[in-house]
Order: sequence, then C-alpha cells, then structure tokens
Amino acid sequence: MNASTARTTTITYDNRTVRQFMIASIAWGIVGMLVGVICATQLSTWEMNGHLWGFLEKITGGAFKADGVAYLTFGRLRPLHTNAVIFAFVGNMAFAGIYYSTQRLCKVRTASDLLSKIHMWGWQLIILAAAITLPAGLTRGKEYAELIWPINIAVALVWVIFGINFFWTLAKRNEPSLYVALWFYIATIVTVTMLYVVNHLSIPTSWTHSYPIFGGLQDGLVQWWYGHNAVAFFLTTPILGIMYYFLPKAANRPVYSYRLSIIHFWSLVFIYIWAGPHHLLNTSLPRWLQMLGMLFSLMLWAPSWGGMLNGLLTLRGAWAKLRSDPVIKFFAAAITFYGMATFEGPLLSIRAVNAISHYTDWTIGHVHAGALGWNGFMAAGMFYWLAPRLWKTQLWSTSWANMHFWIGLVGILLYVAAMWTAGITQGLMLGQVAEGGTTLKYEFVETLKAIQPTYVLRSVGGSFYLAGFVMCAVNIFMTARSGQATDDTVEVTVPERDHDRLRLGEVIFRKPVGYTLLGLLMMVLWFFLPKGADIAALVCALLVVAKAVSTFKREGLAWDRWHDGLLKNYLPFTILTFVAVAIGGSVQIVPSLLVNREKNVEGRLQDLYTPLELAGRDLYVSEGCYNCHSQMIRTLVPDVMRYGRAGMKDDYSHLGESLYDHPYQWGSKRTGPDLAREGGPLVTGSTEVRAGKRDNKWHWFHFMNPRWANDDSNMPCYPWLYEQKTDFKSLPEKIAVQRRLGVPFPAWTKDEIEQKARDQGMAIARSLFEGDAPVGYEPMKNASKDELLRHFSESQVVALIAYVQKLGTYHEIDKKAIPEAVPLDPDSYRKITEHAREVEQAASPSTTDGS
Amino acid sequence: MSQSPSPKPTNPETTMNPEIKRGSYAKEKGEVILREHEFDGIQEFDQKLPNWWLFTFYGGIVWFVGYWVLYYYTGIYQTDQKGIEQQLAAIQEKKDQELAATLATLDDQTLVAKWAADPSIVAAGATTYGTNCAACHAADLSATLEAGGNKVPLPGRPLNDGHWEYGGKPMEIFKLINEGTPAASAGYNGARMQAWGQVLSPKQVAELTAYLISMNPKDFGN
Repeated sequence: MNASTARTTTITYDNRTVRQFMIASIAWGIVGMLVGVICATQLSTWEMNGHLWGFLEKITGGAFKADGVAYLTFGRLRPLHTNAVIFAFVGNMAFAGIYYSTQRLCKVRTASDLLSKIHMWGWQLIILAAAITLPAGLTRGKEYAELIWPINIAVALVWVIFGINFFWTLAKRNEPSLYVALWFYIATIVTVTMLYVVNHLSIPTSWTHSYPIFGGLQDGLVQWWYGHNAVAFFLTTPILGIMYYFLPKAANRPVYSYRLSIIHFWSLVFIYIWAGPHHLLNTSLPRWLQMLGMLFSLMLWAPSWGGMLNGLLTLRGAWAKLRSDPVIKFFAAAITFYGMATFEGPLLSIRAVNAISHYTDWTIGHVHAGALGWNGFMAAGMFYWLAPRLWKTQLWSTSWANMHFWIGLVGILLYVAAMWTAGITQGLMLGQVAEGGTTLKYEFVETLKAIQPTYVLRSVGGSFYLAGFVMCAVNIFMTARSGQATDDTVEVTVPERDHDRLRLGEVIFRKPVGYTLLGLLMMVLWFFLPKGADIAALVCALLVVAKAVSTFKREGLAWDRWHDGLLKNYLPFTILTFVAVAIGGSVQIVPSLLVNREKNVEGRLQDLYTPLELAGRDLYVSEGCYNCHSQMIRTLVPDVMRYGRAGMKDDYSHLGESLYDHPYQWGSKRTGPDLAREGGPLVTGSTEVRAGKRDNKWHWFHFMNPRWANDDSNMPCYPWLYEQKTDFKSLPEKIAVQRRLGVPFPAWTKDEIEQKARDQGMAIARSLFEGDAPVGYEPMKNASKDELLRHFSESQVVALIAYVQKLGTYHEIDKKAIPEAVPLDPDSYRKITEHAREVEQAASPSTTDGS
Repeated sequence: MSQSPSPKPTNPETTMNPEIKRGSYAKEKGEVILREHEFDGIQEFDQKLPNWWLFTFYGGIVWFVGYWVLYYYTGIYQTDQKGIEQQLAAIQEKKDQELAATLATLDDQTLVAKWAADPSIVAAGATTYGTNCAACHAADLSATLEAGGNKVPLPGRPLNDGHWEYGGKPMEIFKLINEGTPAASAGYNGARMQAWGQVLSPKQVAELTAYLISMNPKDFGN
C-alpha cells in the first residue's frame, strides 16, 4: 500500500486493562505459589495442615482444630494450588500480554471497554469463588477441572466475552495481516472453549454438586484430552504468542524465521491434541489409544522445539543484552526451560519410561520445569518489560530484578532436580524385586520414606522461587509508584480495506487444505478400517503426501500466497485452526462414546454402589483423595504384584471395573498406594458389611491417625470425618442423576435410599463397636454404646469406610457375551488382540483362510 | 508477498535495525531474507528450517508409521495383558518352588530349635513385624493401642496371650501367616488377615514365625 495516499487515524490503546490483569496476576501468583509451598511442606511434614499451628486453636477458641484443619489438607489445597497457578497466575498474565499486544498488532484499541471490564472483574470473581469453594471440599474431582458447575458456567461466559472482545478487535484492525502472536491467541481461544465445555459437561445434583456425564474410561479420555491440552492451549500457546511479541520487542531483533512460525504453529496445534492419552499409558486404556498418545507425543517434539528455536535464535545478535537486561535474561531462561520441558514430555510419553515415571514425582518435576521455568519466567520478563511502559517510568530496580532471576533460577533447579531424584528413586524402588525375584523388595511406605529428603529440598526450591517472585511484586509496585499510569496514543495508517474479504470457499477449496485434509482422512481410515482396507488407506495416505510434496515443489509460491491471503482473513484462519484442533479429540474420544462402551469391560463389570457407598465415594472425591491415591493397577508386573490379589495373574485393572464411575478416579499420582483392590467381599453372614484388604477397624484407626499403621505415612489425620454427618438427604437426587447417566441403579424410592444408607451405616458401626474388641472414641468417652452407634452410623467416616471396602469389587461377566470385532476399535480386528484371535479362530476353523 | 522480490527498495523509516539488509537486497545476494512487512515494529527473517530440526520432525512421523505397522501387522509384540499374565505365571511358579523348597527344610522342631534360637533371624523377623504386623497386633504383640490412658483394642488378635486360634504349632503359624485367615473362618470380630505370602518371601515368613516363637517361649518351649 502507498503511505502517501492512506488515511491516518489516532488511536489510544487501553493500557488500564493490561495493568489490572498484570497486578491481578502478580497478586494471585503469590497466593498460588504460597499455597504450593504449603502443599509441598505437607508432603514431608503432614502437620503443616494446621496440626503444627496448635496456638491457633487457643486464639480462635477452638474454631481451628489442632488435629489439623480440614480446609488445609493436601487433598483440598492441591487443587487450589493448581487452579490458582494455572488460571489465576498464568491466566491473568496471558490476558495482560494478549490485551497489550493485540491492540498494537491490530493497530486498534480493544473493541469494547465494557467487555474488557467484565472479562477482567469476572475472572477475578471466579478465582475468588474457587479460593473459597476448593478448600471447602466443593469439587468435581477432575484435575484442573475441579470447580463446581455454577463456577464452570461463569468461566464459560467470561471466556466467551473475552473471545468476542478479541475477535471484535481483530475485525476492527488497521493492520491487514495477522502476526504470528495472534495466530497463537486465536488457537488458544478456540481450543480452550472446546476443551472446557466438553470436559465440564455435567448434570447437577444440587447447587454445589454435579456428576460429569462421562464415566470410567470415557471420563478418563475426556479428562486427559482436556488436562493435557490445558497445558497446551492455556499454558503454552498464549505464552508462545506473548513470546513472539515481547521477545523481539525486548531484544530489538527480527524474529528468526517466518516460515518456521508457520510450520511449527500448524503442526503444534494439530499434533498437541492427540497426545492426551499419554497420561493413561500402561493403564487399562485400549492399546490403540496408548499407541496414538505415545506416538503423537514423540511427533510433538519437533513442533515444540520450533517455538524454542524461533525464540532463542531471535536473540542472535542480542546476546550481549543478557548481561544488562533482566527482561532478556528471563526470556532466554524461560525459552530454554520450554525446550527442556518439551523434550522431557515426549521422553516421558514412551511407554517404557512412563512405566517408571507415571504416578511418581518425575511428572511433578516435569510440569514445574514448565510452570516455574517457562510460564513463571516468561511472566516475569513480560512484567519487567511492561511496567516501565505502562507507568511511563524506569524500572525501580534492575538489581532486584537480577536477584529475582538468580534466586528463581536456583529455586527451579533445586525443585526440578529434587523431583527427578524423587521420581526416579521411587519408580525404581517400587519395581525392585526382593532376593529370589518372587516378591517386591520394598513396602510402599519405605519408598516414600526414601524420598523424604528430596521433598524437603523441593520445599526449599519452591520457597526460593516464591521469594524471588515477591521481589518481583515489590519491584513492580515501586515502579508503578514512581510513575504515572498512562495510555499510549499513536497515529496509525488506516489501510485500504482488502482484508477480511475472502469467502470461506476460496480458502478451503484450495490445494493446501485439500491435500492436508485428504491425507488426514486417509490416516484416520488407516486407523479404523478393517484388515486389508487399512493398508490400502495407508498406501493412499502416502500417495497423497507424495502428490502434495510434488505439487508444492511446483507451486510453492502459490501456496505461500494462499497462506499470506489466509493471514489477512481472520475468520477463515480461525475456522481452519478449529478444524486442526478438533480432529485429534474426535478420533480418540468419539469411538469410545459411540461404539466401544459395552465391549470395554474386559470380562469384569463393576458392582453397583449402595447409597451409603456412593455417599462415601462423594466424600472421597470431596476430600481430594485422588490427589494422592490411584485406583488403577497398570498392566505392569510390579503393579500387579504389589496391588493385585494373591495368586491372580490377571489382576490388573479391567475397564469394566470403573465403568460406572462418574467421575473416574484412576488418579495421576501415588503419594500413597493404589486403592484399586482395597475393597473386598461381604463378610460371612452380612449383606452390608464388607472386608477388603483390611477390615473396618483398621480403617477406623487409620483415618484417625495414619501414623498408627505406619510411622512413615505422610497422610493427614481426618478427625472431622468422625464428627460430621453424612448427607443422606442428597442421595435420592444423586442416584436419580446417576440413573440418567446410565448407571443401572434400581428404581428405589427416596425413603428406600435413605433407609438403605442408614441400615448399612448402622451395620458398619456395629462392626466397629460390638464384639470382643470394640474401638473407642476419645471425644465421646462417656457415651453409651447406643449413643456411639447412633452417632457413628450417620458419620462420614463410616460412609467412607463403606466406600473403601467396596473399591474394585466386580462380578465376572461372560466373555462370550462380548460383541465381536467392533468397528472404530483398531485393536479388535487386528491379530494382536487375543479376543480378536479367538473370534478369528472360531470363525475360521479350517486352514483354508490363508494368512 | 513473502518470497517475491520487491522491485523497489523499502522505506528506511520503518527499519528497525538499519544495518540489517532488507528483503530484495538479501535475495539478490543470496543472503537471509528479512520480510519487508513489520508489525508494530517487529520484523521477521525468513530463515530456512534447520536440517536437524526437519530431521526430527520427519523422523517423528516416520517412527509413528513404522511403529504402528510393526505393532499391528507383524505379530512380534504381545498385548500387555498377555505379556503380564505370562510373566506373573512364571513368578508364581518360581514362588511355589521357593515355598516348597523352604517347607522341605522346615518343621516344628527346626523352627524352634534352629530358627528361633538364631538372634540374627529373630532380629530380621522383628523388623518385618514392625513394618507389616505392628499396625494390627501392636509393637508389643498385645493388639492394643494406648490412647489417652486407655487401652484401645486393635483389629488383630493378641500374640502374647498364649492363645493360638488356628493352631499353636510353629508350622501352623507359618501357614497362617503365609496364607492369611483360613477361608472357612469368620475372622476375629469380622477382621481377616491377608495372605502375607503374597508380600513376603517364604524366608521372611519363617523369620516372622521364629520371631513370634522367641517372644512366646512358654508356648513353644520344649
């Protein structure tokens, strides 16, 4: 365009919203990290749940209990930590960066100040609500998706408002072409909407409680499709966008490679989505999904490193600034950590590595390399760059910023090294067999004891990091005080309008899209088509790739122009981005929703919970037990030896054992042992009392004080379970909702449900207080046996015991009843599955069938 | 726009860093291209993708296709389920042999006279007891817990009261520990002991037995 004939206009950028988000990010960041440090100390010193703070009991007249405060137990605080850090700290930071850079990259003020305000204050209210509900034990029980359903709706609304505001700004832009940062913002908004909505689909049972509509395997798949891509599209893509804006700004250098931006953007957003199942490797997840999860994670390595390269190599020619400019220091270190974490991710996705790392602290170390290194340092770099510009002044203290960098870096290194050591040590110890090779060498608690020193080290590292971040807060505060909050006003050229004119068809019915979609279609057919046809599809896919490559060699320039044209048309770009991110999830999840449900029980079907057991299960979820206990015996020898029943060689978890679990509780970390086989059969002569691995009294003493069972346990005491009553009244509604979700509960009346729960509670209480050796209860020392029975038959601890004794119980179902080879299940008709083999043998007894 | 050489030189006013050579010039000289367009002062080079990066990228894709084909079409891999069942069957077999071998060397007499008389064996048994048994039977074998001055009973049976519910012969105690509460028994107030043979080796079970014998000399004395 010709500048001399162009109109110009004056724009005042909205810096206020940016400042607000930035301040919010810093404030919540400190809260989130502080909660993280408390959680970390609880793992080595369980008393950090309030037990150590006995003086509080005196001060508050007993409102705080010296036995530990329910609101401060690890199971409730850990979700608060993760939510605060992800959604409050990084979320607000990303919003600050997006609001700042989008206006400048579009040369237009954010479309609506009102929407900006609603977004900003709405988000803070949501976080506040989370900070209240999570410690109160109100949770959905799915990681990073714990918030209860009314808050979910608020999140969705605020997010949509953010989206409208953002796309409206794009529509009004005075810059025809979209810069790479904006591509990443678009991918963020579109994908997070999709993930969040699907993973939060639930049916409420009350204002504070709901059940997810998915159960068992389906819930696990959806959860990690979401959970993994929350990392991808909430913690990675917006921050990559921020990197693409703030890094070249701070370094005053051009971005390393435009074409690398294109390749790594599209490959990243497409491949990332597929990698979710790597969170469920070696579990009872069907093998084809594990294969996809692992292999796509390996393919993700290069696209991730594309972002790292474009970051680090942009610094070429600006490395000298590393010495003088804390912003560059933070950015360079952050991108390095990004590279490290995205190399480690594929590594941990290899099934053999995952066998050791999964359920251990290695995973925790991995995510913190990303969260502290990549997110936290990108945030700090951006804050130090922004603050002087937002308040029109100099940074208050460069040396404080430098100090923040070094103390933070040491903190991360301590943290990550400690967690690597802890994870690998524990992973190896858990798999080590004793002399003779027939039993395991270590009890679970011995492995926990062995990693205690690293837990202490981790707390130290985390505290360092927090201290550095507090220095950042002080620095930004002092900077703001020394300056004056100002909005930037600039003169911009209004381009002649030739952007956003392209019709959708002109974008989609073009060779680059055509070849890509055709190739992907062939790939998906290769996964799903029956034997013979799948190979044909693979050959077709390879032919499409070959044809596409040769066409590109010939018409590369035209493809290039096509992509440039796409960048001037934000809606088609957004639609193509959505297509790219929607494919992976659809291919992985839809088959399990449509077809495979009945097949996926593997010969074992979960026994239904009784009303009391369901109430106990809700307590298990509410207390956040899943944060430390898995319910999944993996298909690994040490897992089956440790957690399976004696003499049963196929006692790994089968899919049908959790078919009716809404939400699924396979867990992601074992700070305590697996509980999949904790339950057991009814005791002789009873229809209500069960005895699993341990009997009711064992659990009674253990919930009261886990150190009773073993000195080295770090599980908190749960004294409040003995005081508080189980909520029987909500059970009819809960069971009604479960019935709607397809759990085959009988059509009990409300009274029946309550009566059943009370009867079972009484039976379990009797098993505790009757017989030769009744348990005691110190706070009710003078109560009669009847009083004790009355109290405890309604108590939470009895409901929880009922649940724990039911864990993993199932009945065998006839394997012949399993439907034969199922479409949309790549395992079922390939030779590798025994079932398929059996079916095949049954179908073709003669040898004439070839192969 | 990206790779087509621009006929006219670029506007020097928009140059972010003047010594960097601009698009058309670079192209003519075969140097790195700096894209002419800039966004809020940010420019972009258009460097070729590094070969090692491309190798990683393509390598990942080739590995994906290759591994899938190997797994699903060659039959050289077992399913996880099949594999684990075989391995566990082998372990079980070994375990049965080990138990048989241990049992062959054990009888009531040897347990009392040799095992329980060897302080190092008894010490090993005591360690195992502390880790696995003390929770239900108490460190002092009394199966009670001291709580606020009261003796609260624990789930297990006392092991120091001279009463051996399932037989007081050393080998009977070995069997009980190894196999857990007999299936026919209703347990102790409903509580049933697990089969410790799953967790402990036959040697450890024997050591435990020796420990219990040594702690109850009256019951097993000759």
